[in-house]
Amino acid sequence: METTKLTALEARIAKATEKLLIPIEKMEEEYAKLHDIAVAKGTETWEDRKAAQKPQCTFGEEGVCCRICSMGPCRITKKASRGICGCDVHGIVARNYLRFSAGGTAAHSDHGREIMHTFSQTAADKDYQVKDVDKLLKIAKDWEVETEGRDIYDIAHEVAEIGLLEYGKVHGVQRFIKWASKDRQEAWAREGIEPRAIDREIAECLHRTHMGCSSEPIALMRQALRSALSDGWGGSMMGTEFSDIMFGTPMPRDTEANLGVLDADCVNIIVHGHDPSLSEMIVKYAEDPELVALAKEVGAKGINIAGVCCTSNEVTMRHGIPMAGNFLQQENCILTGAVEAVIVDIQCIFPALGPLSQCFHTKFITTSEIARIPYATHIPFSVETAGANAKAIVREAVENFKNRDKESVYIPDMKRKATVGYSCEAIIKQLDTVTNSYVDETGTYQPLVDCITSGVIRGAVAVVGCNNPKIRTDFGHIELMKKMLKNDCVIVLSGCSAQAAAKAGLMSKEAKDICGAGMKRVCELADIPPVLHMGSCVDISRMMRLVCDVATQWGVDVPQMPVVGCAPEWMSEKAVSIGNYVVATGIDTFLGVVPYVGGSDVVSNFLQDGIKEWVGASFTFETDMEKLGDLMLENIEAKRLALGI
Amino acid sequence: MTLFERVFNGSDDMFNMAVKAVDEAIAKYGEDKAVSLPNTAYGIPCLYAFTAKKYETLGAIKNEALPAIQEMMVKENRLHHAFTSGIATALSAEVIETMKYVMNDGEKPYDDKYHGHMSDAEIRELGVPLVTDDIPGVAVLIGPAPSKEIAADLIKGYQSKGIMVFMTGGIIDQAIEANVNMGFKIRVVPCGPELESVIHVVSVAIRAALIFGAIQPGDYDGILAYTKDRVKAFVNAFAPLSDRTVGCGAGAIALGFPVITDDKENTWSVPKSLIIYDGYENYIPASIEARGIKLKITDIDVPIAVAPAFEGEIIRRGDMQIEANGSRLDAFELVRTRDASEVEDHKITLVGKDLDEFEAGSRINLAYVVDIAGKAMQPDFESVIERKIHAYINQCEGIMHTGQRDMITIRVSKAAFEAGWRARHFGELLWALIKNEFEAVCDKCQVTIYTDPEETAKLRHELAAATYEKRDERLGSLTDESVDVFYTCTMCQSFSPSHVCIVTPERLGLCGAVSWLDAKATKELNPEGPCQIVTKDGPQDDRLGRWDGVDAAVNKYSRGAVERVTLYSIMEDPMTSCGCFECICGIEPMSNGVVIVNREFTGYSPIGMTFGDLASMTGGGVQTPGFMGHGKNFIPSKKFMAAEGGVERIVWMPKALKEEVAEKLNATAKELYGIDNFCDMIADEETAADEEALMAFLTEKGHPALGMDPMM
Repeated sequence: METTKLTALEARIAKATEKLLIPIEKMEEEYAKLHDIAVAKGTETWEDRKAAQKPQCTFGEEGVCCRICSMGPCRITKKASRGICGCDVHGIVARNYLRFSAGGTAAHSDHGREIMHTFSQTAADKDYQVKDVDKLLKIAKDWEVETEGRDIYDIAHEVAEIGLLEYGKVHGVQRFIKWASKDRQEAWAREGIEPRAIDREIAECLHRTHMGCSSEPIALMRQALRSALSDGWGGSMMGTEFSDIMFGTPMPRDTEANLGVLDADCVNIIVHGHDPSLSEMIVKYAEDPELVALAKEVGAKGINIAGVCCTSNEVTMRHGIPMAGNFLQQENCILTGAVEAVIVDIQCIFPALGPLSQCFHTKFITTSEIARIPYATHIPFSVETAGANAKAIVREAVENFKNRDKESVYIPDMKRKATVGYSCEAIIKQLDTVTNSYVDETGTYQPLVDCITSGVIRGAVAVVGCNNPKIRTDFGHIELMKKMLKNDCVIVLSGCSAQAAAKAGLMSKEAKDICGAGMKRVCELADIPPVLHMGSCVDISRMMRLVCDVATQWGVDVPQMPVVGCAPEWMSEKAVSIGNYVVATGIDTFLGVVPYVGGSDVVSNFLQDGIKEWVGASFTFETDMEKLGDLMLENIEAKRLALGI
Repeated sequence: MTLFERVFNGSDDMFNMAVKAVDEAIAKYGEDKAVSLPNTAYGIPCLYAFTAKKYETLGAIKNEALPAIQEMMVKENRLHHAFTSGIATALSAEVIETMKYVMNDGEKPYDDKYHGHMSDAEIRELGVPLVTDDIPGVAVLIGPAPSKEIAADLIKGYQSKGIMVFMTGGIIDQAIEANVNMGFKIRVVPCGPELESVIHVVSVAIRAALIFGAIQPGDYDGILAYTKDRVKAFVNAFAPLSDRTVGCGAGAIALGFPVITDDKENTWSVPKSLIIYDGYENYIPASIEARGIKLKITDIDVPIAVAPAFEGEIIRRGDMQIEANGSRLDAFELVRTRDASEVEDHKITLVGKDLDEFEAGSRINLAYVVDIAGKAMQPDFESVIERKIHAYINQCEGIMHTGQRDMITIRVSKAAFEAGWRARHFGELLWALIKNEFEAVCDKCQVTIYTDPEETAKLRHELAAATYEKRDERLGSLTDESVDVFYTCTMCQSFSPSHVCIVTPERLGLCGAVSWLDAKATKELNPEGPCQIVTKDGPQDDRLGRWDGVDAAVNKYSRGAVERVTLYSIMEDPMTSCGCFECICGIEPMSNGVVIVNREFTGYSPIGMTFGDLASMTGGGVQTPGFMGHGKNFIPSKKFMAAEGGVERIVWMPKALKEEVAEKLNATAKELYGIDNFCDMIADEETAADEEALMAFLTEKGHPALGMDPMM
C-alpha cells in the first residue's frame, strides 16, 4: 500500500530528484577543483576573501553605523544610544536602509535609462531596430502618442522621448503605474507613495538622509517605498518593456546551464552584467561568417557564447544562449582556463575579475563608463557604433584562442537542459493552450486563476535575487524551490535564482516529476517546466504586471492572493529596492538574508509588520531555509483560507 | 466548501456505503464467502491494480481491502490527496458493485438492460479498434442529462464519431425512452443504474494498463501515467453533482480523464480537467477537445451516419429493405488495379436498376467493382483494400455486411433506405473511404455498381472468380522461405509500448488483423509507420525461426525491452504479445500438447484456466515461455509452433474455434503428417472439460501428441 501514501509521492520525487538534478554537493566538488586551480596559480577567489573578512563588522551588519557626516563615524552601542547629532538608532538604521535602497533604484533605473537611450536611436537601417511593433504601439497608445499613418520609427522616437522624461519630469507620477491593478493604484495614492520622476525620487532619498534632514524612521520608510516604486513601476519596467521592443519579447526556447556549457573546442566568450544592448550585438557577431571563419582558422570549432548573471538571462530569454552560471560563478568561468574573453557591461561584476584574468589568457573587457575596473581592457561601447564595437570585441576574443593553455583547461562535466523565455505574453500564450475553445476566452490569465482557486496550485512564488556567501551557494534557491514545488506552488524566477534553478536541472520540463501531483499535472497539461524563467532582475517588473493582471482577472486585490516573493540569497542594493516595490505592490516577501536593520526594532518590526497597514503586505526575515519555506507555505494557506478557497 | 473538501466528503460517503455493503454481505454469508467478479483474471481488478492484492473472501475485503482504501483517504489540501481520495472513491465503488454480485451469487445483479462488469475478453476485443483509432475515444456519461433529447443527441453524436459510450445512472432510462440502441457490440454500453456502476468502465481502463501496458499492480504512478497518456476517455457528468460524483470525478481526473459538467453550483473550473459548460449543442466537440481527441475526418456524400460504432449492428429480416446474398444469388465485391488512363476519379456508375425500383424486402443481385490507379499501387494491395470493404459498409448506420469476395451478404435496412440510401451510395462510400485510407497508393478510384442479374452473373464467373483464383495462387506461394523480408507491426505500441509483432507470410499478427501483405501495404502507405522492414540477415536456426535480423528489429523497435525472439517456438524466446490477441495457446503438460482458447470462449479450458487467466500470463510485451498469443489464422500454419513439432501438438480447442479452422487445419495435418481429419482428434469443451477427460479422449483417438517428447 505504500504506493498511494504520501511516502509514495516522496519516493517518486526522490527518485526523480536523483535522476534529474545535479546535487549541490556535486557542484561544490567541482567548485573546489576550480578553487584548487586558483590556489595553484597563486591567486584567490571569493571564498578566500570571505575568510579574510571574518569577523564581519556587527555595527555594519546591524545598520547602526552612521557615516553620513564627518562628525562621525558614529555607532550606536549600549553606552552611546545616539549619534553626535542626536539621531537615535532608528533614525540611523532607517537612513542607511533608505540610502541602500536608493542605490538599487539608481542602478536599475539607470539601466532602464540606457535602454531608452538606445531605443531613441533605433532606425530601420541601424544596429538597433524595433522588433516588437505590437508592444510599441500598445505603449504608444497608452502614452497618447499618435500612431495612425506614422512611420514606426517616428513613433519610437517620440515614445523614447516621453520615456526618458519619466526620469526628470517636473509634474505627475510614473506613467506605468496605470498598469497596476485598481486597488494597488488606490493604495499608493492613499499612502502618498505614487512614484514621481525617477531621478527626483533618488535625489530625494539622498536629500532626506542628508545630515540634519529626516530622522523619523517611518517617514524614511515611506520614501523607501515610493522611490522603490519608481524603480519597479518606472525604470525597471522601462528596461524590460523597451528591451522587448528592441530585441523581441521572450518566448519559450530551450537552452542549457551550468559550467559544462563551456566548450573545450570552441572560442568561449562570457557575457556578464545586465544591459542587453551590448550582448545582443555580441551574440549577433558570434555568428558573423567572417569571425566564424577566423575562429576555424585559429583552430577552434566555432564561437560559443555563454552568460553569467543577468546579461546571461537577457540573451538566454531571447536567443537561448546557454547560462554558464550565476553571480558566484563569475570567477569559476575564468578558472576553467577555457574562456577567451569575459565581456562585461554593468552591475554585479567582481573587481576580482581584473587580477584573476591576469593569471590566465582570458581577456577581461569592460565596455561601460559606469563600470570601470582595474586590470581590464576597456573598449568603450556606444550605441552609434555598436556593431563595429561588438565585432572588434568578438575578434579580440577569437584571436586570443591561440593563447589558451589547452593542457590545463578544466571544464566541469556538468550541465542541464532548461526551457526559458516566459514573458507575460508567453505565459498567456501558454495558458491559451489549456483553454477549451467552446468554453473559455483566450488571451487571459483565467486558467491560472482557475488552477489556484480550485486548489490544484496552492499558490505562486516568485524566487528572485542573487547569491550571497552568507548562504551555501544556491542552497537557498534550490531547496526552497523543491519545497514549494512539492507543495504544488508554481514558481516564477528571475536573475541569479533562475540560473540556480537551471544549473541544477529544475528548469527542464522533465522536472515536473519532482513536483507534487498538482504542479506535475499542470506542467504536463500546459507543457511547461515547473519553474518559469521570466528574465533578468529588471524583469521583476514582468512579475509585477503578472500579479496585478491576475488580481484584476480574478477580481481580488494583490495582497489577498496566495502569492509570495522570496529572495533567499540576496546581496545587492538593487535587491532591497526590489523588495520594497514588491511589498508595495502587495506581495509578502521573504528574505533569507536579513537587511542591515537589526539594530532598530522600530524599523525591523515596521518592515515585518507595520508596513502592512499601508500596502497590505510585509517582509519576513528568516535565515533558516527550512523555516523560511514553512513560513511561505503557511502564508499561502492562510490567504487561501481567508478567500475561502 | 472547497473543491477538495467536496472530494473528501464524496470519498467518505462512498467508503461508508462500501463498509455497509460489505457488512451486509458478511451478515448474510459470513467472512469466508469467496468473492470474485466474472470472467477476469485480475481478481477485483481496480483493487488489485492499486493494492497489488487479490482479495478472495469477504473477510479479506473487510479486513484488508477496506483499510487499504481508507489509507488513501488523507484529507490534506494537496492534489495528491484529492487524487488518491478520488481513486479511493472508485475503489469503494468497486467494492459496492462487487458486493452486488456477491449478493446475487456471482451473477449479474441487474436486469438485462444493464451490462455491469466487463470481461477481460471484451477489453481485449477493444484493443485493436482503440489503437487503430477506430474507437478514437471513450465517453463516460453520468446522468440523467437535462432531457432525454439531449441524452439521445449526445449518445448518437458520440457514436457517429466512433466514440465508445459508457453510461451510468438515469441517462440510461432516458436513452431507452428515446429509443437509442444499446449494447457492447455497438459500443453504447449502459453500465448500471447507480453511480457506483461507473467503476465497470474505470475497470476497463485500469485493466488496459495491466493487460496492454504490462504495468505492475501497485504501481500507482504507472497506472495513472498509462491511462492519462493512452486511454482517451472523458466524462460528461450532469447536474446536480453529488459529493460522491465529485469524488469519482477526482478519480477520473487522476487517471487523466477530464470531466465536463453543466453543474455550476459549488464547482470549480480546472483547465483541461474540470470544465463547466452548459452549451449542450457543443458538448461533443468541447469534450473531444478537452481530451485532445483527434478524429479522422472523412466527408462522405451519403445520407446516413458512418462510424465504426455501427459495425456491430444487426439488421433483422423484418427491418430489411433489400438483401444481396452471394450464396443464393450473384453478389460479389472486387478491387482491381488499372492503368491511370482507364480510371476516372470519383466516377460512380450504376449498371441495372436502382434500389427504389425493387420491392421492399427483395433479394437482389449486387456487385461492385472498384478500379484503382496509382503510381505506388500494386496488385498485392488489392486484397488488402478489398478486405476493408467489410468494415466500410458495416460502419453505415442501418446497413449490414458479412463475408467477403463472392460470399457476401448485404442488408439495407428500411431506415437507411428511407433516409435516401441508393445503389450509387455504395460507390460514394467506397470511393471516399478508400481514397482516405489508401491515399498513398490510390491516385484515382472509380466504382461500378451492378444490379443487373445477367451482368452480375457474367462478371462473377468471368472476372471475379478468375481474379480470386489468381490471388489464392499468389497467397499459396507466399511462404516464409519465399519472401526476402518480414515486417514489424508496432501499431499496438500506443497501448503496449514494448511489444513488437514480426509478421511473416505464414505468421500473421497476433491480433489477426495484419497479414504479411497488409504489413507490406502499410509500409507503402506510411513509410515511417508501424510496419518496417525486417531483414532475414543472419539466419541462426531454421527450426526455431531465429534470425539476427529479426532480433535486431525486435530489439530496436521495443527500444531494448525485448532482445530476441523466435518465430516458430513457444518455448524458446516466444514472440511477445500486446494483449489484443485473438487466441492464446498454453502448454498442457500431461498430454505433451497445447490447448488453444479464443477470446470469445468464456468457459474453462481443461487446464483449469479461462481465456482471461491464460491471457494474463502474457501480454504487455512480456515473454512467457509456454504461453503465446496469436491470430486464428496462424493455427493451420505450417509454422505454428513448428519448433515443437507443429500443429499435431494441439490437443484441445473450443468447438466453435475448431470448426472455424477445421478445413485448413486438416489440410495442414494431412500435408505434414499424413493424418486425415486431424480435427476429430482434438478435444473440445463438450468432449473434455478437465485433464482426466482430455487424456481419456486423446488416448481413445490415438492423438499423436501423446507419443511426442515432453515440451518441458
